[in-house]
Amino acid sequence: MDWSEILRFSRGPLFHLSLIIFIAGMTYRLLRIVLLGWERDRTKRQGSKLWGTILNYLRGLIILPFIPWVRRTFRNNALTFIAGGFFHLSLFVVLAFGAAHILVWQSLCGISWKPLPTPIVDWLAAVGIISLLVLLINRLTHPVLKLLTKLPIWINWTVVFLPFITGYIMTHHLWFRYEVIFSLHMISVCLLLIWIPLGRISHFLFYFFSKTIHGAQAGKRAVTP
Amino acid sequence: MKEKTIYEHLRDKGLSRRDFMKLCGTIAGMMGLEFSPPVKALGKLAHPTPAEVVARALTTKPKLPIIWLEFQDCAGCSEAISRSSSPSLAKLVLNDIAIEYHETLMAAGSQAEKAKEECMEKYRGKYVLVVEGSPTVADDGIYCVVAGKSNLDLLKEATAGAAAVIATGNCASFGGIPGANPNPTRACGVADLIKDKPVINIPGCPAIPEVTTGTILYFLIMGELPKTDHLLRPLTFYGHTIHDHCLRRPFYEAGKFAESFDDEGARKGYCLYKLGCKGPTTYNACAALKWEQGLSYPVQSGHPCLGCSEPHFWDGGGFYQGQSAALIPPESKTTAVAAGVGVAIGAALAGVNAAKKGRAKKALTSISAVGPGESGAKPISQSESKKEG
Repeated sequence: MDWSEILRFSRGPLFHLSLIIFIAGMTYRLLRIVLLGWERDRTKRQGSKLWGTILNYLRGLIILPFIPWVRRTFRNNALTFIAGGFFHLSLFVVLAFGAAHILVWQSLCGISWKPLPTPIVDWLAAVGIISLLVLLINRLTHPVLKLLTKLPIWINWTVVFLPFITGYIMTHHLWFRYEVIFSLHMISVCLLLIWIPLGRISHFLFYFFSKTIHGAQAGKRAVTP
Repeated sequence: MKEKTIYEHLRDKGLSRRDFMKLCGTIAGMMGLEFSPPVKALGKLAHPTPAEVVARALTTKPKLPIIWLEFQDCAGCSEAISRSSSPSLAKLVLNDIAIEYHETLMAAGSQAEKAKEECMEKYRGKYVLVVEGSPTVADDGIYCVVAGKSNLDLLKEATAGAAAVIATGNCASFGGIPGANPNPTRACGVADLIKDKPVINIPGCPAIPEVTTGTILYFLIMGELPKTDHLLRPLTFYGHTIHDHCLRRPFYEAGKFAESFDDEGARKGYCLYKLGCKGPTTYNACAALKWEQGLSYPVQSGHPCLGCSEPHFWDGGGFYQGQSAALIPPESKTTAVAAGVGVAIGAALAGVNAAKKGRAKKALTSISAVGPGESGAKPISQSESKKEG
């Protein structure tokens, strides 16, 4: 098998097709949810919707996750919270600030920015991989989670883990020839792109909708989101 | 009369024995011959040293006949060999170790054609055929014709009596530039056409002269072609990537990249990955052997590797585009169509959903006039959301 051909295919037509499926799928999902219907909020206006939204983002995404005692991180579900948090941070940094990924963004959207130093991205990638493994073990051993976990969750985990691990092996030039592991990385990324609109990983987009709506609702009622 | 051996030939030319042994050492080094010292405990017996192996071959074997054909090419590989700045070695190989018929260098004409035919007849079954440039198969090979014969006929004719075939340069190995998309002449590699003779590829644009001559010498000395990888490239020279031996590699590891050809990073010699270097996937000896007697090679001189020893290097999505970039970035039209399809299906299903919702609402109000109108929508939207993976 000629891996340079496979690499050309996976970087070219396969990635192209996956992107198209991803775009069509996400547009469909978005429209479908928006058109499900909106319940009219009849509450009397008591505060600012905008401030509620901003506050919700600050609490949920930007500041408070990093101040554990405020969110009571360690009290209820410490492992899920910490491993999940590190995983999401790692995913964001690797995707947005890895030098190789910036080249991908540049080829797709025409804009580029400064990457973070490779060692930082590298360590965070390792943290992401470890977090995913921890979450997997937790899911395999936790009595309640075991009951809740069905096939789509396993698919979710696999399609996220594969790009992570292949990417890590690739940047460290371990075990495989570069074109082989590069092809495997691209194929796993394509799998992920195709799977996203079909499964719950689509929360990468819908999260922001719910965060905004809940924030606005709370803001209108002048309560803490 | 018995043919003179190479050693006798060299002695006639005035080469001293000392120089001959030096030459043998150089050749052994160039061929990448390994020497394992005898270790009694491991059961390793004393082998002749590489230089002795070479010397034994040169003192017993006559010159190696070579026929060099050119098809769709720029003659750059011949140029690289004839102007290689290790002239002593390349010249030695081509003048004193091998007898050569070279179409371009002989300024082809009817005499040259005749010389080739005589050479092929005289050394039938013994000569090595070196092919430079890609054969073309479209329309029975009429797009590359020499002396009234199509390249396919010429190749077939010359291969018939060859002991081995060496395809030099990317064109002869994989189709090269003539084989680039859309490949109007259906150019292909020599190995795609020749199945009944041993074929070895020496890709590169041009092929590194020392690699071509090294492979010829290997065949002369060992009597067989060297071990190859899956693309038929000799492992001695194509066993590692440019990236493996790159002198800018530490900068890659540290994440220090040149952003343009004239920025501070470029001046400091940072890694050229972001400027489109194909080093990580390119197998060749540039970084180890270098060019111009070990003076430099592209990456050292500040230019990213083009990947010229790999198949389809011309179609690799731009020489200055980073290797991780998408080969086919989606155009705005494709994106719009994809989004349009999503919108159309979404809207259609939402319409069906709305109609269902309307019917359910009507049914509810006709049975009992309970609750506000919108409550009827809830069971449907809940069942919809449950379907998510």
